Amino acid sequence: MVDGLGKCFYIQETESAKKPKGVWARVKFWPERLRHGVTQPFGGKREFWALRNVSFTVKRGTVLGVIGPNGAGKSTLLKVIARVTPPTEGRVRGVGRVVSLLELGAGFNPEVSARENIIMNAAMYGVPRTDIEKHFDDIIAFAEIEQFVDTPLKFYSSGMYLRLAFSVAVNMRPQILIADEILAVGDIAFQERCLARVSELANDGLTVLFVSHDMEAILKVCNEVIWLNGGRIQGAGDPDKVVTEYQNVAWAKNEAARTEKGRHSNRNAELIAAKLVSQRGREIGAAPIGEEVGVRIRFSVQRPLKARIGFDLTHRGGLIFRTMTPEWIEIAEPGLYEALGRIPPSFLTEILYGVNAFLIMHAEGKESSLIIYGAVSFMGYDNERGIEKQQLQKGGLLAPRLEWSLKKETLVNA
Amino acid sequence: MLKRLFSSVGEGATVEWTIEPRREGLGVRLRELFRYHRVLRFFAVKTVVEMYQGTLLGKIWLLRPILPIAISAAVFGGILGVGSDGVPYFLFFLTGSAAWMLFEQATIWVTRSLDLNKGLVKKVYFPRLVMPLSSASPAVLYFCIFVVLLAIAFVYYFVTDGRLYLVIGPQLLAAVFAAACCVTLAVAVGLWTSVWQTRVREVRFTVRYVLRFWNYLTPVIYPLSKVPSEYRGWMMLNPMAAYVETFKWGVLGIGTLDIGSLVTALGVTGVMLVAGAWYFTREEAKAIDNL
Repeated sequence: MVDGLGKCFYIQETESAKKPKGVWARVKFWPERLRHGVTQPFGGKREFWALRNVSFTVKRGTVLGVIGPNGAGKSTLLKVIARVTPPTEGRVRGVGRVVSLLELGAGFNPEVSARENIIMNAAMYGVPRTDIEKHFDDIIAFAEIEQFVDTPLKFYSSGMYLRLAFSVAVNMRPQILIADEILAVGDIAFQERCLARVSELANDGLTVLFVSHDMEAILKVCNEVIWLNGGRIQGAGDPDKVVTEYQNVAWAKNEAARTEKGRHSNRNAELIAAKLVSQRGREIGAAPIGEEVGVRIRFSVQRPLKARIGFDLTHRGGLIFRTMTPEWIEIAEPGLYEALGRIPPSFLTEILYGVNAFLIMHAEGKESSLIIYGAVSFMGYDNERGIEKQQLQKGGLLAPRLEWSLKKETLVNA
Repeated sequence: MLKRLFSSVGEGATVEWTIEPRREGLGVRLRELFRYHRVLRFFAVKTVVEMYQGTLLGKIWLLRPILPIAISAAVFGGILGVGSDGVPYFLFFLTGSAAWMLFEQATIWVTRSLDLNKGLVKKVYFPRLVMPLSSASPAVLYFCIFVVLLAIAFVYYFVTDGRLYLVIGPQLLAAVFAAACCVTLAVAVGLWTSVWQTRVREVRFTVRYVLRFWNYLTPVIYPLSKVPSEYRGWMMLNPMAAYVETFKWGVLGIGTLDIGSLVTALGVTGVMLVAGAWYFTREEAKAIDNL
């Protein structure tokens, strides 16, 4: 339970601005320094409330998503709950062991082996050695580092490091798990696995607080969402509802920024943005190969015109294909429009794609076009583990599933 | 009681907690610290291990103190002829240095404790008092090396002089006690300086600087008997002077055990320690935000 939580940081003004100039001024300044404490640096202080009057209650077994723009206070909230930094006002009450993943692998010592690191991490969370030894094999198995248990962590790949960190945290048997942007790192297959594990643990009664910018992940695992903005709660409750609201606001901001820049527009129309969206229409950062994804292109039209909307799919600047609406579309009414180009499942592969969105128009007898280069870039990832690995051959740009048929030839010349 | 404290760590499941702006009092903190005693031990080992990792000479560095000690002993004992109350100057100096270096190294390590582990304290919660308390461990290791060196020196002088300078008996316990007091004093000082170090970078250099003078005010290089008697009283206000004297008395049996000054020193140490713990717990949160 979080009640009226507030966190105020006193931000140091740049020293040089307030630092007295000249010898005499400095001497005169000493009485004031002594009053403030000699070890306090020079300069004035500005209050900054990273969190203000934040209250919410989380029931046991809930996965609470925390969303909001950068600087909204999400991380500060988690830090307060993790007891890394104390609140300025309000209180947090809870039950049970809290394990925080404010940064994957904080507290790991790169010089010693995984085995020692696990024991040491356990000690840091107050987990007895005997307890952790029971779960030792689980930790290693989940992290998939069986061969490297006795290798110092500095020789680990960053993926192995992250897997180990996550695995250690969830195996501390916490009652409350705090995860800050754990999905921003690691390969996508592993992220999927982490999410699955988080959901599983939540069913067993683990409470999870989870900060992420990946709305798709939030929707997948969270039962509840709070939306922070400027240190206050702007929305809370049902994930679908809150995420939709949040994204609408984010879109609006995005548009405002675009208009200011005034690029990608002419007197007839403006190409606003393109986004990668999931089947359910949520903005996503990476494309699951097994599912349909879409490229959503937003544009506004100032006068009646005929248009074709499309995008180029590229890889490292090279064109893979260009696709656009097959016919010219008559747009009679000015306003904001949204076009969606669907990419079928089992079509992309595990590489980085880029999208150039474009709009070709016919207005007042003249043809013109607008294009946003690099409007989106995203990775394809194999979300159904192990299927059709042969298709995902390295080096390919696409891995479409084709219709196949097999027929036995009847040999005529007997 | 003890059992309950231990088991509460293991279960940890149904413990209710509250996080509030005003932190708990010192008593609650100390109990919490005890619950985390494993972490304390762990960090103590970690600090030592990390110190020698990635070094070319590895454990040979442990012998680092020999050279400066030998040179100083040659200069002060040989060239300048500083007295040593009847024991070989090298032995005298080595004994005093053992106690002094324990204090000096511990102070330096404790001062840097928060700063050195900032990556950790900003990301993971454990009682912050763990940091200054466990960071004295390299100094203890250092002290152990001195003890080994002393043992070798005793054997050497026993063979060459035919006399064992080491006092074998209950007096040695006084030396152990004095050594423990040196560490305690260092932690008491470090509780203050470690917080300052998070705000101002030069604190650790200042600490080294001050320690150098402090060394001269402590009878390490010279015996207390060389100090004019009218200054001796003043000198013994320095807790380290009392501890070093007690240590030398315990090991070498020179000088006298001055109970009065020892009690004064213990009083000063105790006050500094309690006040330091209070100050540290009050300031730790701000200090860590500052890192």
